[in-house]
Amino acid sequence: MYDRQVWRYFDWPLFIAVLILCGIGVGMVYSATYNTPDLSDYWTRQLIFVAMGLAALIAIAVFDYRHLEMFAPPAFVVFILLLAAVDVFGTVQSGSQRWLNVGGVLVQPTEAGKFLIIIFMAWYLSWYQEYLHRLSYLVVALILLGVPLYLIYKQPNFGMALTFAFIGGTLILVAGIRFWQIGLMAAGSIPAAFFLRTKLQGYMLERFQMFLSPKDFKAANWNVDQALTAVGSGGWFGNGWGQGSQNQLHFLRVRQSDFIFSVISEELGLVGAVIILILLFFIMWRLLRIADLARDQFGRLMAVGVAAIIFFQTIVNVGMNLSMMPVTGLTLPFVSYGGSSLVSMMFAIGLAQSVIMRHRKIEFQ
Amino acid sequence: MVVFRLGLVIAFCVIVGRLFQLQVIRGADFQTKSSGNRLKTLEVVAPRGVVYDRNGTILARNKPSFEIALVPEDLPEDKPETPDIDEEGDEIARVLSLVHADTDPKIALRVAEIMFRTLGRFDYAKALTTAGFKVDFVTVPGEEKEIIMATDLPAAPVSMPFTVPDISTPLPLPALVQLVKFAIDFKRQGSASEAVSILDSIERIKALEFSEESYHMPAMRINPSPIRQYVYANMFSHVLGFMGPIPAEQADQYTKRGYNLNEKVGLSGLEYSYQDQMRGLPGYKTVERDILGREVRTIGQVQEPILGSNLVLNIDLRLQRVMSDALQSAIVQQKARWGVTIAMNPQNGAILGLVSQPSFDNNVFAERLTENEGYQQIQNDKRRPLLNYAIGGQYPPGSTFKMVISTAALAEGVVGPDTTIMDAGPIYLVNQFFPNDLSQAQKFVSWNHRYGIVHGPINVVQALSLSNDIFFYEVGGGYPVTKFRGLGSAAMAKWAELFGYGAPTGIDLPGEIGALVPTAQWKRQRYAESWTTGDSYNMAIGQGYMLATPLQVLVNTATVANGGTVYQPQIVYQLTDAQGHVQRDFTPKVVRQLPLQPGVMDLVRKGMWEAVNAPDGTAITSKIDGIEVAGKTGTAEFCDKEHYNPKKLDCLDDKDFRPSHAWYVAFAPYENPEIAVVTFVFDGGEGSLTAIPVTKKILETYFKEIHPR
Repeated sequence: MYDRQVWRYFDWPLFIAVLILCGIGVGMVYSATYNTPDLSDYWTRQLIFVAMGLAALIAIAVFDYRHLEMFAPPAFVVFILLLAAVDVFGTVQSGSQRWLNVGGVLVQPTEAGKFLIIIFMAWYLSWYQEYLHRLSYLVVALILLGVPLYLIYKQPNFGMALTFAFIGGTLILVAGIRFWQIGLMAAGSIPAAFFLRTKLQGYMLERFQMFLSPKDFKAANWNVDQALTAVGSGGWFGNGWGQGSQNQLHFLRVRQSDFIFSVISEELGLVGAVIILILLFFIMWRLLRIADLARDQFGRLMAVGVAAIIFFQTIVNVGMNLSMMPVTGLTLPFVSYGGSSLVSMMFAIGLAQSVIMRHRKIEFQ
Repeated sequence: MVVFRLGLVIAFCVIVGRLFQLQVIRGADFQTKSSGNRLKTLEVVAPRGVVYDRNGTILARNKPSFEIALVPEDLPEDKPETPDIDEEGDEIARVLSLVHADTDPKIALRVAEIMFRTLGRFDYAKALTTAGFKVDFVTVPGEEKEIIMATDLPAAPVSMPFTVPDISTPLPLPALVQLVKFAIDFKRQGSASEAVSILDSIERIKALEFSEESYHMPAMRINPSPIRQYVYANMFSHVLGFMGPIPAEQADQYTKRGYNLNEKVGLSGLEYSYQDQMRGLPGYKTVERDILGREVRTIGQVQEPILGSNLVLNIDLRLQRVMSDALQSAIVQQKARWGVTIAMNPQNGAILGLVSQPSFDNNVFAERLTENEGYQQIQNDKRRPLLNYAIGGQYPPGSTFKMVISTAALAEGVVGPDTTIMDAGPIYLVNQFFPNDLSQAQKFVSWNHRYGIVHGPINVVQALSLSNDIFFYEVGGGYPVTKFRGLGSAAMAKWAELFGYGAPTGIDLPGEIGALVPTAQWKRQRYAESWTTGDSYNMAIGQGYMLATPLQVLVNTATVANGGTVYQPQIVYQLTDAQGHVQRDFTPKVVRQLPLQPGVMDLVRKGMWEAVNAPDGTAITSKIDGIEVAGKTGTAEFCDKEHYNPKKLDCLDDKDFRPSHAWYVAFAPYENPEIAVVTFVFDGGEGSLTAIPVTKKILETYFKEIHPR
């Protein structure tokens, strides 16, 4: 299975971009936490997570992604069972039932589930690629996506449910469906939107309203307001690393993860923030290139799925920092503090690397 | 895929555009906002001035103390996604357990007490009952109101009891949390950044301990809130007064003077009179603060506070103590209700001691006891300990007023030094409608007639010494039988006012009243009746409508003692700064010089000397070895509800004696007096029996211990 040759196609620009982002991430986590007693070791932890993520990236890249096809259906079943188990036995924390208690350790199945759903949807959509023009196969795809979506929405974890919907939707669109099918889905989404409006759980609705009319939620909007102040006071070049008063004096809440982009904007200014964005979009661009070069539909869809995740999280997280989107707990890929999100992101890059390393489109051995 | 790529480009451009808008176009605004976040201008409170007695003994000082407060806006919000968790309540509970409100019943009581004060009795009960806690109520006697039960009965004081929540048993933690939440919701409607105090009187070490542990509690503030400590409590409470929160009705006035409405200010006594001077001026500094409000560093210039001035009083602690004790024992002995004794330097108006009994512990107010404890006790005491009777009580001055009448008579030429008036027993003023019916005439007696004594022909010096009433009746109102022309109402009023009656003396204490000098015009307006000779007779012996505060009587005495200068009494000797440098020194304030021919005051002084030193003087018991004392007794009859005898339609008892207030005024040494003293005991009986011993004790202490010869 191991073939030295595959490293020829390892996507070094992508890899280096990821490394730079992770490096900046560690630096910004340090700046955001070093003067907070409880959090002062977060940057070393983040460094360890980066190392773990790199190991995962390399390991997955070496592994031939095509073997994943056979794991996809059983893994999906296990995932659904886990979600059901959370629904029944899950541990409640701050009002949400998202965790499974496994021997004292709390595990959140949805975090890894993001990638599982990419692999599974990629598998389904590539396996039945020929039949997708039939409505029934499309409907099955929607149902397969809908089941985990519903279970996650019920936890409740609205941000994650939206992520799942976005990934699934993107994959279905990219897999190639007819325009009339798109039209049909759009038509179907109108009643769905009305349904959601009435059924949206209270806090979700409140967050949307808060976003739409901030004046009515002055106290609750405080964090967002502080983030905006931090971003705005950065100017062209920022206040300097470790010099942002909003960050250093802790006016920013959850500054090491959700609001790390505000920290970057405040301390590194417009220039720094744009560099981060360029790196992120460069990564997405490279992933789409991988999709174009992939040797099969399964690989292609996986690469698209990974790009979609990064895109969605970036847009939502940055949008929240800039008061363009409602507040959700989604992190900024590669930069925000957090082991599971960082390692799983690196894992996803590993998947894409695995795809590009084995594309062999033009080359002949 | 093309769509996806297009999406990437669009999203990138939108985000960068937004960043540009925020950071470059609106950057300056946000920078200002960010500075506003972290920079706060703080008031640096100046420590309040300390009060010393004349010899430098501390009478009032500041005890360092801290309070714990919560800032509503820094408490965690109730997160909408977790409806079953009360984030705010949990945080409050954490703070309360940090300060041991859950384990120490005393602290639990204190927190409840402060909440009771913050919320008031209705909201206090409401906060507990709505959360499902049981509230016990206790009935407390309310304020007394005069209520007329039936038209033929005199008005009777009726207490209006009301119920208040019982705060004498410690509440469990959840109940306290509920109260604090309620108080915070209350405050949040006003200003969410204004801290709500939940516990006070915390010592420095404890406060430090708490501040270390409170690291995770952004809403918790530990603020210095020094407690005013009155070292001698009851002994000086009427002089020093007490402090408290700015009363709502004066809020505007204090804000105009630059006060912060959270400050405590003097509400009575010298604390009130010298509020501005003792407060000093707060300074300001700009600090960078983190989100917890902790000061990270000071930025720029610090404007140092101007420390409050210290007061040095004219009062000598040793004399004050003797005055307080002596008066106390006289009141107890006589079963009297209240009394006053004041000492003053007649040469400059310096108050050497001032006691009004009953007194109260002014520390009770500093430490904020709640309404159903010590405070309520003071409020409900029928003897009204809060009232300073020395300046706020008005009574007929009795025979002490003869000092005024004799001066007036000599000055106006009504009598000369040798003019004698005959005391041959009671005199009568005939009824103008029945001039021939002696049974309808008004009878005026002198005190000595009761003992079967008549004084015969006497001059002004003898009249003062013997306190003969007949002499003063005739000098005051004239005597038709001998065609003797007296002073009359207008001249008596004029001289009373010259001596300082009828207007506040201007002592540096709040709440002084002017008392009443009656005139013919006043009587017509008040009663629609004409002034009669009988009114003049009564006024001439300090009875009838004439009223005076004990301090006015003292000023009168001092004026006689010094030969005719009316001084404004002053308690404060000096204002000094923190280093002890004198900021304002004592300067005697002359109110007026009496328009007197030479020798007039000498005769009045002689009369008072004889009262003490002549064998038949009325004040011979106040003689002191080695010091020549001059004095004048007074026994002022009165009638009130307590003594009312319905059978006689008057306050006469079985032996036809009316109740009376005891007065005694004295000064010494006779040549070149240094001290003048007034002693007044309400319902104290004879002046010579009750008031003289008190005054004598004071003079003895002054001349034997404080300024030994």
